[in-house]
Amino acid sequence: MATQLVNVFDKGAESVIIQGELLGKKIIVKYRVKKPYRHPKFDEIFRKTRTKTEAKILSELYMNKVNVPAPLIVDLKNSIIIMEHIEGQKLSDLIEYMDIEELKTTAYQLGLQTGIMHSLNIYHGDLTLANILVNKSNKKIYIIDFGLAGYSRDIEEYAIDIHLLRRSILALAPDKLDVFMEKFIKGYSESYHGNVHEVLQRVEEIRLRGRYVEERLKKKMLRDKYIE
Amino acid sequence: MYVDILGNVKDNIYILGIESTSHTFGIGVVEYNVREKSLKIIANEYDRYVPMKGGIHPREAALHHTRTAPQVLRKALERAGIKIKNINAIAVALGPGLGPCLRVGASLARFLASYYKLKLIPVNHAVAHIEIGKYLFNFKDPLIIYVSGGNTLIAIQKNKKYRILGETLDIPLGNLFDTFTREIGLSPPYVIDGKHQIDICAEWGKEFIPLPYTVKGSDLSFSGLLTAALIQAKEYKNNKEKLGNICLSLRETAFNMLVEVAERSLVLTGKKEVLLVGGVASNKYLREKLIAMTRVHGAKYAGTPPEYAGDNGAMIALTGFLSYIYNIHIEPEKAFIRQRWRLDEVELPWLPN
Ligand SMILES: Nc1ncnc2c1ncn2[C@@H]1O[C@H](COP(=O)(O)OP(=O)(O)O)[C@@H](O)[C@H]1O
Ligand SMILES: [Mg+2]
Repeated sequence: MATQLVNVFDKGAESVIIQGELLGKKIIVKYRVKKPYRHPKFDEIFRKTRTKTEAKILSELYMNKVNVPAPLIVDLKNSIIIMEHIEGQKLSDLIEYMDIEELKTTAYQLGLQTGIMHSLNIYHGDLTLANILVNKSNKKIYIIDFGLAGYSRDIEEYAIDIHLLRRSILALAPDKLDVFMEKFIKGYSESYHGNVHEVLQRVEEIRLRGRYVEERLKKKMLRDKYIE
Repeated sequence: MYVDILGNVKDNIYILGIESTSHTFGIGVVEYNVREKSLKIIANEYDRYVPMKGGIHPREAALHHTRTAPQVLRKALERAGIKIKNINAIAVALGPGLGPCLRVGASLARFLASYYKLKLIPVNHAVAHIEIGKYLFNFKDPLIIYVSGGNTLIAIQKNKKYRILGETLDIPLGNLFDTFTREIGLSPPYVIDGKHQIDICAEWGKEFIPLPYTVKGSDLSFSGLLTAALIQAKEYKNNKEKLGNICLSLRETAFNMLVEVAERSLVLTGKKEVLLVGGVASNKYLREKLIAMTRVHGAKYAGTPPEYAGDNGAMIALTGFLSYIYNIHIEPEKAFIRQRWRLDEVELPWLPN
């Protein structure tokens, strides 16, 4: 069996990642697994469409020189993508231990990459710290996991990406949020072709959309007075 | 477990908690037993307002709370076997929730605290749902899934606060089921013998039909799903099986969305415990899906049992106790209600860094 020759390298939310070698190069096999909680009929559709989406977006981004793993082989029937192995660690595992300079370069680099991606009218759909790989030796960052990505000219989608990133930092490393976002936005502004201000304003709007966000209501409603 | 903070107190501590944020008026009492060094829930009485038709009318619900309050209070004290003068502090849920309902609980708390000269402890209702779940299962650092009529969110604790990882961008999950079953003429009542109308209706169905599925990273949107389901349901008003198919598929789709974002947050955070809290925690289909999901990732799963899943006073008393030992209290005249008091705003000294 193939799985005896290679080892399970990692497990994502949707997939099992197996490491291997192809023509002397390190590769990974991303296999979207069946979900025991999903009705089989739906499960099949989900795994196929997301594999297809990921393969398509990966190749488009790779051709446009965004830092993503090169897609090599796609097996839609089995929901498998074989891609280049990226030497690096998840930003979610690193962020807490990064010193300020590392943090700044990483954020800036990520901002640059995200800006290029959005300029191609591509959004990621799940841009959290677990989907960003950092190579500590050459300081390069890579974006991975494009199953929820898509094409859109709607800045709402770009703003959601930034919102998701912001919130995952807030949950995992709240004290790093401000420095990170400042440098991220710097990088983003340098590479994004559209109106950065508009996107950032939308990010703020999305943040305020949460159901019980008080700030939004303060504007509209009188504050509750003392209870009589 | 609270010994370090408490030092050597000599007498038992009793906290009374008042819940009135929405449809439930509840009073609970917790006891910290000095000899056993343990915290126990010794009363949890409540009375639920059920609208005759439509959804919750805040004023009608508030009227219900005002009428039932004295009786619920009396029953809770009886069950606890204590007198008001034995109580150390009054805890009250000041939000989030419906204004008129919140005012009933807040007024009662202000009165009790002033009249009996007791400390008044403000409690965030969402925090209370989480704390009671952690208490019941002795969870220390879970991924939290909080689903009720008014809330749908995923959170973790970090740096003394609960941090939200994902939430609904429009309607909450409980509200989705309530609205759908109401619009097709099945509710109210929304729940019969512990079973939601959506589950009863789903039993008539056999077949899954595709419905809009909207997840944005870890955020959810249910409004498209609701609209699509309602349009289909209109066509099959008198066809029980077809209607059943829609209920079945609506529930399946909504739960799949929630479990998927929960799974993503679980992998992102690497937590080893998953805790389901809030009214919808009583739903056995959601529970089954979450058990299946957590098993794959080797995480422990627990969901609050029905008695403590819905709104109740015990969870307010329990959270009140945690606040009490950290000396959190306010002057009665400063007990503002806060209809939109967000979970992630509250700084909680008992949470780790
Ligand atoms: N090309 C790659 N090179 C190296 N590691 C990878 C690569 N792709 C994925 N991984 C590892 O596998 C994990 C899961 O992959 P991901 O594409 O995010 O799948 P999922 O959709 O299941 O989250 C990642 O967090 C990362 O650690
Ligand atoms: Mg991933």
